Order: sequence, then C-alpha cells, then structure tokens
Amino acid sequence: MNELRRDPITGRWTIVFLNKITPPSGFAVEPHVKSKGNCPFCWGNEAMTPPEIIAHRSSGRENGPNWSVRVVPNKFPALRIEGELNKEGIGVFDTMNGIGAHEVIVDTPDHFKDMADLSFAETEEVVWAYLARSVDLRRDKRFKYILIFKNYGKSAGASLEHPHSQLIALPIVPKRVQEEIDGAAKYYDYKERCVFCDMIREELTDKDRIIYNDDKFVAFCPYVSRFAYEVWILPKKHMSDFIDMGRDDVPCFAKALRNSLAMMKGLLGDPSYNFIIHTSPINGHERVDYHWHVEIMPKLSKVAGFEWGSGFYIDPVPPEVAAKNLLSVKVEDK
Amino acid sequence: MPELRRDPIIGRWVIISTERAKRPNQFGSNLVEKEEFGPGEKCPFCEGNESMTPPEIYAVRKDGSAPNTPGWEVRVVPSISPLLQIEGNLDRHGHGMYDIMNTRGAHEIVIESPAHFPEFQVSKEQFIKTANVVLDRIRDLEKDPVIKYVLVFKNYGKAAGGGHIRHSRTQIIGTPVNLKRVKEELAGAKMYFDYKDRCIFCDMIKQEIKAGKRVIAESEKFIAISPFASRFPFETWIFPKTHSCDFYKVDRNNIPDFLNILRVVFGKTRKVIGDFPYNFVLHTAPFRRDVAKRGYWETIEKDYHWHIEILPILTRVAGFEWGSGFYINPLPPEEACKSVREAEI
Repeated sequence: MNELRRDPITGRWTIVFLNKITPPSGFAVEPHVKSKGNCPFCWGNEAMTPPEIIAHRSSGRENGPNWSVRVVPNKFPALRIEGELNKEGIGVFDTMNGIGAHEVIVDTPDHFKDMADLSFAETEEVVWAYLARSVDLRRDKRFKYILIFKNYGKSAGASLEHPHSQLIALPIVPKRVQEEIDGAAKYYDYKERCVFCDMIREELTDKDRIIYNDDKFVAFCPYVSRFAYEVWILPKKHMSDFIDMGRDDVPCFAKALRNSLAMMKGLLGDPSYNFIIHTSPINGHERVDYHWHVEIMPKLSKVAGFEWGSGFYIDPVPPEVAAKNLLSVKVEDK
Repeated sequence: MPELRRDPIIGRWVIISTERAKRPNQFGSNLVEKEEFGPGEKCPFCEGNESMTPPEIYAVRKDGSAPNTPGWEVRVVPSISPLLQIEGNLDRHGHGMYDIMNTRGAHEIVIESPAHFPEFQVSKEQFIKTANVVLDRIRDLEKDPVIKYVLVFKNYGKAAGGGHIRHSRTQIIGTPVNLKRVKEELAGAKMYFDYKDRCIFCDMIKQEIKAGKRVIAESEKFIAISPFASRFPFETWIFPKTHSCDFYKVDRNNIPDFLNILRVVFGKTRKVIGDFPYNFVLHTAPFRRDVAKRGYWETIEKDYHWHIEILPILTRVAGFEWGSGFYINPLPPEEACKSVREAEI
C-alpha cells in the first residue's frame, strides 16, 4: 500500500509510492544541449547585458571580462525598479503596478559548468553575491520580500543555458511564503518550538533521509517530499533570515549546496531543477518560529491536473530510497 | 509597466508581464505530440479490449450485454495505476512529528465512448451520457464515508501529464481529506461572503458581463471568461450563471447547453493556438455529511459557486512560481479573450 504523508508546516499531503518505485534511471531527463553561440553571460560579451550591479573581479575594469561572479539587472524584468508603488481596486479585483527588482547572478564565467561542477570556493562566491544583493535591496522601503532562486534547464523554466541564479525583490510577501510562515507560527503557538528545528532533530534521529551533515548545515530528502529527489538544506542553528548567516556559516552552506547538486547530477544525469531560498520577509529578523532553508526540486515528472486542482502531490520515490541512492554517489571534495 | 493582479478569491498575485509580452498568435501550434502506440499495442479503452482494464465499476450497456464485454456506451473502471484505492482502512497514524495515512479513497476512469475519439470530439449523445455517468458516480462516492471530496479532471498532452493514449476519458478521484487548494478557495469565498453577504463568484460574473472584455462566450446557462488574474495564457473558467455550489446537483437538462459552451471554448482556442496541452479541473463544494462539523461550512451553499478551470500548459512553471505562489503570465487575459472570442468556428 502506498502512503499519504502530511507536511507539518503547510498541511499539504503527498502520495508516496512505496510499491512501484521508479529507479534513478527511470526518469526521462532532457539533455542539456549547450550551443554557446553569442552568450550574454560569457566573458567578452558584458556589453550585451545592462550595466552590472556588482561583480567579483581579480583584475580589469567594470563591465569587462575576468570576473568570477557577476550580477546584472534582468534584461526582461518581470518587475521594474523605477516608480512609486500604486495600489488600486477595480470592482472585486485588486491591482498594483509592477514595482520590484529583478536581477541575474551569473554563477560562473564557464558556460558549460553548472553549480554542481563548481568548487566549494566558487560556490561560496555565488553565495556571497546573494548575500550582498539581499543586504543592499532590503534598504529599499518599497520591498517586503527578497526571493532568490535558480532555474536550471529548460523544463525548470531557464531561458538561457549559461548557469545563473535570479533574485526578485517584491512589494508584497508572496502567498506560498506567507502560508509557510503561518504554518510555522501555528506550530510554535502550540509547541513553543520551531517546526524546522524539530524537523532537523527528527531527521537526525531517523538518519535514513540525511544526505549531508556537518557542524553547521544538514541536507535531507524531506519526509514529505513533493517531488522525487527533493532536497532541503537547513542551518542547524536556529536562524530566521538568510542574511543572518555568520562568516563561518557561508563555506559550510556552499559545500552543502554544491554537494547536494553534485549528488543529484551524479545519480540522475544532469536533471533540470529549481532551487529556492526560503527566508523570512524583510524585517523578520530573529523570528523564533521561522527558519530559513533551501528547497531543491529536480524536475523529473510533470505536475498534472490532479496536483493543480488539489494541491496534492505525487512522489514516485520514497525519500528514504532517494537519500540512499543519492549517498551512493561519490562527489569530488574540492 | 508590468501589472500585478490579485485573484479576489484566494489572493494569489499574478504578474501580467509587459517586458515578456507575447501576442496571442506567438504561442505556436501543434503543441501536442502525436499519439504513439508501440508495435502491437492496443488501446485499453476501446470496445473489445475490456480485459485490458481492471473489472468495470459501472457501465451504460445495451440490453443483454454482460459486464466486461463489448456492448457498452460509457464505461467506468478503476485506474490502471490508482493513486488511491477503495480497499482497506485509512489508518491515520503518526511518525514522530509527521502524520501518515493509507492511500484509501477512489480513483476511477470514465471512458466516454467505445470508439477511439480524442477529447471533446465524442458525439453530443455520448457526451450527455458521459456527463450523467459522472454525476451518478459522484452520488455513489458520496455513500463512502471516507471520501470527503471528489476531484473531476482531464489531463491532455504530455506537458499536462496526460497519457500517450488519446481515447477521450475523464478521471474521478475521491480523496479522504479536504484538499488544501479547495480549502483555500472555500475560505476565500467565505471571507467575502461574511463581509458582503454576497457570493464572490456571482459578483465576479456580473462585473465581467458589464466590462465585457474578458467574456469569451455565453450560452443560456453558462459563461466562459478569461479570469482577471489568469495564471496562464488562455486560462479559461466556465461558470453556471445561476448560483449553485455543488456540481453534482446540476439540472441534468442543462447538460446539452454545458456541452455547447465547452465546444465553443475548445474549438475557438484551438483555432488560435492549435491543439494544446491542458488540465481541465472541476471546482465544486466538498461533501457535507458530517453534521457536527457543519458550522464551518455553514454558508457554503450561499458563498461557493462551482466552476470549471481550463489551464493550458503553454509556459513552464519555474522556480519563481514555486517559491512564491506568484505567477508570471506573458499574455494579458483581455488579449487572450479577444483573440479567442473573435476566432471563427
């Protein structure tokens, strides 16, 4: 018999297949054919993007080559930075103008590598760029939330093949984030403990879903995974906001992130994926009931009508099996 | 300037993108891959292949034909790969901080015709029979006390999770819990009702008729609109014009009119973008047999309005959407509506 598992934070249910488990080779992974061409994110083509916001460069000038990580405004932004926020109603409907920031973090100058192939130090540089942009954008009073995420591969929604992450600063707290915060707050009201801290303790006790564990970070396939090979990374110490990370936390986080992606790539053959940094809204410092984390979701199966209509998910690989398979991959320690 | 629009029922925001805007005719055509049968493969839903499915639950049959043999007009079978099943107990239990239960429920396939027709191309008579069977099945599932909600849907095309066999069919899933999305929608509608004493869907229909620019089609009893905060290009919602919260209590005399509007919507949309992958999902009120809990749904008959949501899968849902519950739609619904309304069929 299969199992229905309930996420303790948001209350969503997932059907976990325990009988017919899809083997790692059983997913149709789309090939990432990289043609390069005239890529705006490669060295030498800096003029093809809007002028950079920040970059890590050993030598050379702004908007020239020799950078290792580069942040630029999105050329086709979903939201625009200029203007005042303006809210208005039309009968039963509400609208707002699309104020926000939409930036692209170019993870590496190497067109043919993804974050899974980077070294720990290179990944760490990307994380520092996330932090620098988060700290800067939260000074803008119009913004309530900063969403950092990465789409890799076409079926995960990436439109450019050069590895990059994105940052969107929003004038409202998005619905999914609010749901998660509300769920965590409810749990805290009842137990006076952070639901994520409890989850970390539970996972460390069960052990069979852990894929990475060091002094500061833990990564596991969550008990209530919505997707096959879903992975969450959490700081072990309670920390509500991503920018609360200390200097010594960053290398550990970079390592956990890179290793999780490398295991996925090694096992599943370069799958498309999304990862999202879940953090508290701006000015949510030191919340006792929320805990920042990363959710990595490989795109291995399509979300169909059932999921849309119900908010119910179907996971064809139990997270215990997923973790075991991921751990069988040897990743380079550099 | 891009515009942020808020769905008035569940409060979901959508960015109607201007920077990434596309014209209605830029979505390409032939987005649905050809039907592929392997060598020697046969369609399990065709007449004569009854043994390829689990034994039937129900069928409309010509006189004298035996179950699981040819001679049926509409046939209902358990899903070949069921997500939920009617055998066993729910057995709710905990695992540390987590909650678990068995996959008890129901998962049925309503085969809409003995002949191999694609979606929405079965005859009017077959459609009416099918709709009646779906209504009967929901009434039957209501008798199973474990089932709290019935989800009726269609997946078409690979991108929408549809199978490779194109035999027109509808899926029914009876779930043992009230689903999160359904609860959200019910809660949103109730909040509006508590405040205004009116159904939000009825208000929305009135406003859309007045504005006109998002009405795709209207029949005697139904209306099809491009919702104000459409998540997807060419998203379409169909409402009964008369207020009602339960689909399964629909006046069966209105089925032909319901078919008309579906045919108009699908026919015209296909005229604009060609054959397209989609999810077709019925949104209806949950069963309300638990008298003790009724307080919670006290006003449901007044505040909720059943409807159909048709979600064409033309764009990809990316990290941003997953992380935020925010959607980016590159096509303003007014433009989608105009192009579909003006298409000639």
